[in-house]
Amino acid sequence: MKTPATLKFPPLIAALRAEPLTDRRPDTVTGCYISDLLSDVLAHAEPGMLWLTIQTHRNVVSVAATKDVAVVLFTCGRRPEPEIIAEAEKEGIALLTTRLTTYEAAGKLWEAGLRGENGHE
Amino acid sequence: MHPAPAPFWDADAGDARRISVAQVLVYELRVRDAMSKPPITAAPTDSLRVIQELMKSRRISGVPITRADALLGIISIEDIINALDRGYINEPAETHMARNVVTLRDHFSLVRAVAEFDRHEFGRFPVLDGDEHLVGIITRGDITNCLMQHLERRAEEALAQEASLRAARAADEAANRVVVRAHVRTGDYDSAGKISQRMRQVLRDRGVNPEIQRRAAVVAYEAETNIIIHSLGGEIIATIDPDKIVIEAVDTGPGIENVDQAMQEGWSTAGRLPRELGFGAGMGLPNIKRCSDALNITSDSQQGTRLRSEIRIRQTGAAT
Repeated sequence: MKTPATLKFPPLIAALRAEPLTDRRPDTVTGCYISDLLSDVLAHAEPGMLWLTIQTHRNVVSVAATKDVAVVLFTCGRRPEPEIIAEAEKEGIALLTTRLTTYEAAGKLWEAGLRGENGHE
Repeated sequence: MHPAPAPFWDADAGDARRISVAQVLVYELRVRDAMSKPPITAAPTDSLRVIQELMKSRRISGVPITRADALLGIISIEDIINALDRGYINEPAETHMARNVVTLRDHFSLVRAVAEFDRHEFGRFPVLDGDEHLVGIITRGDITNCLMQHLERRAEEALAQEASLRAARAADEAANRVVVRAHVRTGDYDSAGKISQRMRQVLRDRGVNPEIQRRAAVVAYEAETNIIIHSLGGEIIATIDPDKIVIEAVDTGPGIENVDQAMQEGWSTAGRLPRELGFGAGMGLPNIKRCSDALNITSDSQQGTRLRSEIRIRQTGAAT
């Protein structure tokens, strides 16, 4: 049984210099997945994870809800439309945005201790 | 088993345009459906006396005069009264019948027949078919009777349908079954996930193991987006029983050219727009397969694609 990497929400925000878009504040995230392909996220994201993407349309919320993803981080300063934020609020998913690129954000998260090497099964 | 589970939720419910059954019927029903047939006729050589007897015995007020199904004229009860009054009741019909009779065609709608009754002040119209043969006779009473009969039949059908729906719903309830179904429209990317979320709520309410909830949600979501991206439109039906979830996706085409190829990870025929939105990774069907306990896909260019995924609910499964 692998022990998943976890990171508390406040240090996560600080490391990413992220702006929360929703009122939701989960206690921690458990692991991270990065992809802009929705089916790839459906296949590989795990419940409670942080998901990094540049996609900002409505389906991001649907996919996150389907997999019980805890937090979605939009990179490169991207932010979704207000009605999509409202939908995430309703679904209980926290949304964040950062000016960092996906690569930079991943580096900061690794530095902050969100590490884990599960690889591709 | 019952043929069609009652819809639990339907995105298309509530059509704004409602027309009464009677309105539909007057357009649907034809003169041939309402007319009296075969018509009671007389020969041109028959005397008006013979026709008077015919009217009395058959309780009718007008008799078409024909020769070999060809309409020559008509004798009405007014003609008989005049003949009695003026003393020519024994003369043949052809000398006193009205010629140039206004007729209706058997394929006319009843709404048109009603208009003809309003325009002319006749009590009846002879009815001709496409070959100019006299095939019947129609009165306002015939139209009323026909409408009443059909309304009654429709009402009975509606009652029977309602009863069978109620029976199906009762069977669903007895089996502790919930059916979530909805139409899925081509290119409607914004709606993707709605059915999946609705189904998920039912599973959540039932306390189904969250891992099984997620697997079912992935199957429904991927099946839904497949219809949105690739098909001409279709339907998702999720049937939730205590021991299993069956998700069916049915579309109207154009079919998957090579199902084996489509099952390979990375293979996609999605266009530019869905790819920009992050669809078309070529992982939809492989994801469905991974999340299903049993999967069946049939597809051809005539019938479209039918996908059936079964996910078993294990009662003892602990949450992940």
